[in-house]
Amino acid sequence: MAQDGEAFQLNRGRPMTIAAVGAVVILVAAAAATTPGFISIQNFRAILAATTFVGLIAVGMTVIMISGSFVSMSLGTMATITAIFFIYALKFGIAGAILSTLLLGGVLGLVQGFLIGAWDANPIIVTIAAGALMEGVSVALTGGQALSPPDNNYAFLNTTPCGIPVGTFVLLLLVAVVEFLLRRTRLGREVYMLGESRAAARAASLSLGEVGCWVFMLAGFSAALAGIFLASFNHGASLLLNRGTLNYDAIAATLIGGTAIVGGRGSVWRTLLGVILIATITNLVLLRGYSFGAQIFFKGVIMAVFVIVIHLRSQRGR
Amino acid sequence: MPGKLTLGYPSARTLRKSLPLVVLAVVVVALIALPLYSSAHASAFSINNSLQNAASLGLLALGVGLTMIIGEFDLSSLGVYAIGGMIAVKYGADFPVMGMLLALALAVVVGGVQGWIIARTEISSVPLTLGGYIILLGASHLVSNSQTLAYANYDVGMWLDGIFGFVLSPRIAIVLGIFVLTAAFMGWTQLGREIRAVGGDRRASRASGVQVDRIIVGIFIASAFLSALGGALFALSSAAAKPDLGLSPFIFAVTAVLLGGVSLAGGRGGAMGIVVGVVSLSLLETLFSLLGTPIYMVNVIRGALLLVVVVIEAPDLRRALITVRRAKSA
Repeated sequence: MAQDGEAFQLNRGRPMTIAAVGAVVILVAAAAATTPGFISIQNFRAILAATTFVGLIAVGMTVIMISGSFVSMSLGTMATITAIFFIYALKFGIAGAILSTLLLGGVLGLVQGFLIGAWDANPIIVTIAAGALMEGVSVALTGGQALSPPDNNYAFLNTTPCGIPVGTFVLLLLVAVVEFLLRRTRLGREVYMLGESRAAARAASLSLGEVGCWVFMLAGFSAALAGIFLASFNHGASLLLNRGTLNYDAIAATLIGGTAIVGGRGSVWRTLLGVILIATITNLVLLRGYSFGAQIFFKGVIMAVFVIVIHLRSQRGR
Repeated sequence: MPGKLTLGYPSARTLRKSLPLVVLAVVVVALIALPLYSSAHASAFSINNSLQNAASLGLLALGVGLTMIIGEFDLSSLGVYAIGGMIAVKYGADFPVMGMLLALALAVVVGGVQGWIIARTEISSVPLTLGGYIILLGASHLVSNSQTLAYANYDVGMWLDGIFGFVLSPRIAIVLGIFVLTAAFMGWTQLGREIRAVGGDRRASRASGVQVDRIIVGIFIASAFLSALGGALFALSSAAAKPDLGLSPFIFAVTAVLLGGVSLAGGRGGAMGIVVGVVSLSLLETLFSLLGTPIYMVNVIRGALLLVVVVIEAPDLRRALITVRRAKSA
């Protein structure tokens, strides 16, 4: 899937991506300057909140993309499912709820990761199918009702120490941890190697199933974290939480961060920049009163443009 | 299911060949035997209903299947399916044919642009068509202002779904005709063989003089065209169009295509296999609705079935099985 030898010529096509990111940043800055109500503490808080939800999911999306599995179509659904579970599990105490929600996210990811990593099952289709399956099971268990928290023991998750939401701190921590895992550990190197070329990774006798499991388990954790904060932010959870565009936003942010859609390249902190950009764009579009349709439309265009630009860059490098 | 596979399955190929017919046979037997295990029974009406459902989704499946046969994957077809129905309803109020033509024209443009980009830049079709899907989803919301549009001209839907010959209707006949034409084209023309060759080995077919780029563009146009037609027929016969149909039409289409023996790796499968996949899947859904299975359960089964067919299709599962078999015989 990934082109051989591409990694050694990383830098040649970079100006094109920088130009694309630069163009978007300038456009956003210009729009921000001319939009009334954009520059206010309240609005920046709203942007930070949006950054947190999309960002947590985007961290998982980035690792998946680097590993060569394109994207997951089910991370948004997993965030919703884990949010519902979190609210349900609150009755066992906050610590138990957080731990068991993370465990659930990890296990849900792990199963998908095994099918994709060990057997090379098509990641798009596996995650679409898994999403439908998980949604069906969650309706079976909850009767499709919205859940309300039994207690407000989760309130500290909504606090803002130093004016910054707890979720944002958790996001930064997650980015640091995952960046460390990717750069400094054997697992990280194996993830890049698998994304670069599955054949080469197999030839180097990596355990592809194991790497796949780790990647999707990590993504499951990040979706579960998003679920925990989504649930506490909304003081409840139902499948309707997924009616937005969480998953697509995360994909767009990952692409804007320069992660190669075919795998082998990318970094989590650059995804974070992509997330901030996407959150700002969403915010601007809302402030300017564009419709939901226009919002999705713009994001689709950005996504398509970045996919093409990054692809051309990798080709030019060859 | 992995356990079942390791216990003496002859080969993945036999499995692939026999799977569509086995599934169809099982579903038909289950339908016929319905009175034996429940109070429901299958009537000509329920079969007709099932085929109506299959007809529109069948075109989406055919579009997706054609791109898979050339080794690509068109996620945007789902978006074309949605916006095709939307345009047909919105602009076809007075002249249904007009709305239909507009929808099809848009589809040709969408398919042409995506196909051209894929052929020219050799970009992977998954991310590109994912972008395309999201753009179309946005466009569909824009066209409808995020509302479900009703179609006042009920006569069109009545005509499309009017029953004749026990289980047929014009809608079913149109779709069946398209499938037969596609099968004949793929089987009996030089171009049909070339299309399959592009999916089997792109480099080799280019070397032997096949116009690979043109075929890619053509297939993407065909995929979008069929998806828009399916979406338009669906919207006109149900007299309404929703801006976002969710992923479930796509889940149906991909499951049907994989059940029908088309390979994600490209080069294998055809329209007749897809028809068998579509019919068995929609009969299966009829079986569930006759049994009164709750919708969430149907969703669970849909997801599980898609997981099963995509795992059977997984390249390294076969590799793992071969290793196991060798280890046993050694």
